[in-house]
Amino acid sequence: MQGILLQLIVSGIAMGFVYALVAVEYTLIWNACGLLNFSHEKIIMLGGYVFVGTCITALGMSNIMSAILTIILLGIFGALIAVIIFIPLRNQTRLIAVVATVMLGQILNEAAVLVWGPVALMPKNFLSGVFTFMGATVAKSYVYIIIVAVIIIALLELFFKKTKPGKGMTCVSINKTASALMGINVKVSIVITLILSFMICGVLGIITAPIFTVKQQMATMIALKGFCAGVIGGFGSLPAAIAGGLVLGIVENIAGVVLPAVFKDAVAFALMILFMLFSPKGLVGVRDHVRNLQENRKQKKGKVNI
Amino acid sequence: MLQVDNIVTYYGNACALHGVSFRIEENEIVSIIGANGAGKSTLMKSIMGVVRPRSGAITYQGENITNLPTHKIVGKGIVYVPEGRDVFATVSVQDNLEMGAYSRKFSQKELNGLYEEMYTMFPRLKERRKQMAGTLSGGEQQMLAIARGLMSKPEIIMFDEPSLGLAPIIVDEVFDRIKYINQELGISVVLVEQNAYMALTASNRCYVMENGKITKEGKSSDLISDDSIKEAYLGM
Repeated sequence: MQGILLQLIVSGIAMGFVYALVAVEYTLIWNACGLLNFSHEKIIMLGGYVFVGTCITALGMSNIMSAILTIILLGIFGALIAVIIFIPLRNQTRLIAVVATVMLGQILNEAAVLVWGPVALMPKNFLSGVFTFMGATVAKSYVYIIIVAVIIIALLELFFKKTKPGKGMTCVSINKTASALMGINVKVSIVITLILSFMICGVLGIITAPIFTVKQQMATMIALKGFCAGVIGGFGSLPAAIAGGLVLGIVENIAGVVLPAVFKDAVAFALMILFMLFSPKGLVGVRDHVRNLQENRKQKKGKVNI
Repeated sequence: MLQVDNIVTYYGNACALHGVSFRIEENEIVSIIGANGAGKSTLMKSIMGVVRPRSGAITYQGENITNLPTHKIVGKGIVYVPEGRDVFATVSVQDNLEMGAYSRKFSQKELNGLYEEMYTMFPRLKERRKQMAGTLSGGEQQMLAIARGLMSKPEIIMFDEPSLGLAPIIVDEVFDRIKYINQELGISVVLVEQNAYMALTASNRCYVMENGKITKEGKSSDLISDDSIKEAYLGM
């Protein structure tokens, strides 16, 4: 029993980090240009196909080299999409950019079949096998997902808190005009954001390839649930996105045991709707609410003393 | 030093500036006064490239800067401290200052020197340097916005309504610093104000704007005794 619980928690945390990375990846773009990247699901898919289909199978590269090349290629693709779609459309009506990103997703989806064929691809000897400890059997891929995600989140934190371009991007997300008035080049900042976001998508495509296999719909669920994670955490904040992802991953996995298994996927969406109804600001809203309650209590105590 | 020739600026189909000309020379304080909606801020935003004039030219030290992107104009040494401060609320005071120097490649040592300079000018900011800028009072935020503007060592600094929403005693302090910036640091200052009396007493020359046009200009000492100005802006 203890083993199963541990197993559930580890895989829950791993999936939580996957959702968190998805939430981080689109929150970055939302903060930089106020647009949602509706093609992100297909960018993750692209990462998977480039990794397995092109680098490993066609070019015969090693797993590590393939992963590195995939991430670099996705970064270049991100810069390209920034110049073609996000920069020209950022000041247009939102709908135009929405349609543009949806269409980008469709193009990638169909292109994937043409280039890599309709059969699902599976990386061989990549993050396969299991760890066994304390009576729990945990797939290695889950453990690697946790490690990779923690490294990425730590690097992002360093980038945004310690480097000048990172701090500049934080300011762009707060106020674009004021940032431009500081001499920050907002367009360059959008390009950097897209590169980062697409690289994270690439990583997601790689690390989820052994779990979902590489196919057109491989990222549909995690992209949607990543969106739920953002809403549950509190839209537009990176730490909130990570918290939302973890909460969602663990709750969903435990619910999979308590409830009939078919309801597992519904839990994420039910949770999101509950948050939208009762705490539209997400966990951040809950935290603020608790803080207000505490302060009210303090003030009341103060009055009694007077 | 900075010359604006006959610029026309639109917001969509609404004309906000109908051919405005304006200049500032080295080491001057020039004020622009006028009622709400007269086009004072639009003039500033046109100079900074935040909004683009449809016609006319903006020249800075002999170079046409009319169509440069905002961040390049900042790099040339023109800084605008916007109305309503616009400090980065969830970023610490010191990081706000660092962002002010974004257009310059300063070493860490030079940056630290600049921080110290700002903290000597605005001691209250030093106490609060690790606090988030959003937790500061209105007056402190104005001081931070001014200090942030100075961080890039500009040649011209333009203040938009620096007295807006501040207590009278803080307003005096702000104007004190603005005079100091001009006299001691040798930076040219453009001062956009609704508070006409403060603006006229602080500046060398003044422009009066009405409905997107400049209706009067001259030495501030002359304008302050001009009857129509007295009646319309000083309430005397």
